[in-house]
Amino acid sequence: MPRFRLLPDEQLARSPLSQLWREFARQHSAVAGLILFTAFFALAILAPLITPHGPYWQNDALLLLPPSWSELGLVQYPLGTDDLGRDLFSRILVGARYTFGIAVITVIGALLMGLLLGTLAGMSRGVKSSVFNHILDLALTIPSLLLAIIIVAILGPGLLNTTWAIMLALLPQFVHGIRNAIAEQLSQDYVIAYRLDGANNWQIFSRIVIPNIWEKLTLMATMALSTAILDIAALGFLGLGAQAPSAEWGAIIADSLDLIYIAPAGVAIPGLLIFLAVLSVNLVGDGLRTAAKKRREN
Amino acid sequence: MILYLLRRLFLLGFVFIALSILAFSLAYLFPGEAWQNFSGLRDVPAAEMQEVIARYRLEHGYLSQYLAYLGRIFSGDWGLSFASQQPLLKEMLPLLPATIELAAYALFISFVIGIPLGIAAAIKPDGLLSKAISALAVAGYSIPVFWWALLLIMVLSLGLGWLPTAGRIGVLYEINQVTGFMLLDILLADSPHQQAALYNALRHLLLPTLVLATFPTTVMIRFTRDSMLEVWEQSYIKTARAKGLNRAQVLYRHGLRNALLPVIRQIGLQFSTLITLAMITEVIFSWPGIGRWLIDSIYQRNYPAIQAGLLVVSTLVITVNMLTEILHTLFNPLARKR
Repeated sequence: MPRFRLLPDEQLARSPLSQLWREFARQHSAVAGLILFTAFFALAILAPLITPHGPYWQNDALLLLPPSWSELGLVQYPLGTDDLGRDLFSRILVGARYTFGIAVITVIGALLMGLLLGTLAGMSRGVKSSVFNHILDLALTIPSLLLAIIIVAILGPGLLNTTWAIMLALLPQFVHGIRNAIAEQLSQDYVIAYRLDGANNWQIFSRIVIPNIWEKLTLMATMALSTAILDIAALGFLGLGAQAPSAEWGAIIADSLDLIYIAPAGVAIPGLLIFLAVLSVNLVGDGLRTAAKKRREN
Repeated sequence: MILYLLRRLFLLGFVFIALSILAFSLAYLFPGEAWQNFSGLRDVPAAEMQEVIARYRLEHGYLSQYLAYLGRIFSGDWGLSFASQQPLLKEMLPLLPATIELAAYALFISFVIGIPLGIAAAIKPDGLLSKAISALAVAGYSIPVFWWALLLIMVLSLGLGWLPTAGRIGVLYEINQVTGFMLLDILLADSPHQQAALYNALRHLLLPTLVLATFPTTVMIRFTRDSMLEVWEQSYIKTARAKGLNRAQVLYRHGLRNALLPVIRQIGLQFSTLITLAMITEVIFSWPGIGRWLIDSIYQRNYPAIQAGLLVVSTLVITVNMLTEILHTLFNPLARKR
């Protein structure tokens, strides 16, 4: 069947999403970040299936085995073992679930809650929204680590409790950003036109506001994700988050810190992975930001 | 402008009330009895219990208790620390300057390095220099602070032996605390070893400041660059060029002044992240600041200390926030109109 070109410019006929992808794919760093991000994501889901040894299984015949590239290492233990004879490679693979996977869950939770609260705040006016704003201002000023300390003091240490703390610490910026984005949308002329056509609040929200702000939402989520990974790792390192036997990357670093001279791999490799995970998220975020800006300019 | 300041002041009052309500309610939320968390006493003989109840108005409603709490905060009676049984306010006062000192130097370094690099990156946005700076900024933005600190300690302190790893000054020097700011105290001190002490303190300061400065520097680079690029597109820049000003003149008179405005604001917004990072840095470098004290407090389940720390640290962050906001308004007439 012959194809007709109805529009003079082929570019304009593409959907916003494919325009965004075109701009995104032009940036090498962003694509590299996306590949890395996908790899971490896959690892977080598949980790228990691909570990060569049990991450908590202690082999007391092989304590503090050096990595396999050194002469004393074994090829079955690519990164060596720790002071309890646990395979470092398996622990690190499983650690992706804790540090990266839980950060993703935290951000999704904070995003959903922020969407709810931000919509309520953005759609309401007057004293109610002003009081709400000031409470948010307060919440934004409490440093996230301090908030985590308070929540740990109330609920006790543990990965789940710090997840709540990080979610709470991320929430204000989501609510703030979403509220502003919605307020900006509501002042547009096309919203007024749609309202005059008889649309109710829900229709305006679902047909106009959401399609127009999802780009901003994704950006906010990537920024929050990098904060969440760093916070989970930092809390694990300080011993407030994931507790000792757990294979969270920050906790592994704290665990192997006293053996840093004998087995530096235990500190170096988990740290490198945290760095790479955050880097991949930031690269994707930067790429998205540039792509979104270029798409709007065209 | 006066109206604006009054409105800000009103807002500040509101935020402080909300903060004090939060700190007050923590006494009930934390484990243990409320009077323990208020007073910092573990055990009270049964005979004195009546006195404690009267003092904290525990037989009255929450509102009355809260007002009593506010009264105690303002009169300087913040309760005792569980761990040391010392008055909390006295314990915190020498710690706060250490944290402020560290954060202030880190912020200063981030200005000195970050802003010029950001401008350099904005001059040719697709050039090699700009790409290199951006890559550096993304890397610095992504590195976990505790790991970065450990790496630097391993290489610079333990490997090469150039810098000390912990504390504010060598144990050989005895410096009287006057202001709590180490460098200032050394300059005020009348000692024959002033030079040596100053050198020693600077060596202790270098590594923690460098670690802490990494994040704000990268934020500065990114923001200066983005804001410069945005300003550079404006029509007043084109007008200035058309008038015949050269690049440097346009950059200084029209570009920078407009581009650095949002950067000022950013300092306030990033300050709470900076304090979080300062707390972690203090733990690693055994820096005797309020962050390390707070993290020690959670290890010791020292609830009155956490409550007091929340008040002090949040007040610090709120004050800095407010100051940068006022500065921003002072420099930017457009923001005053709203």
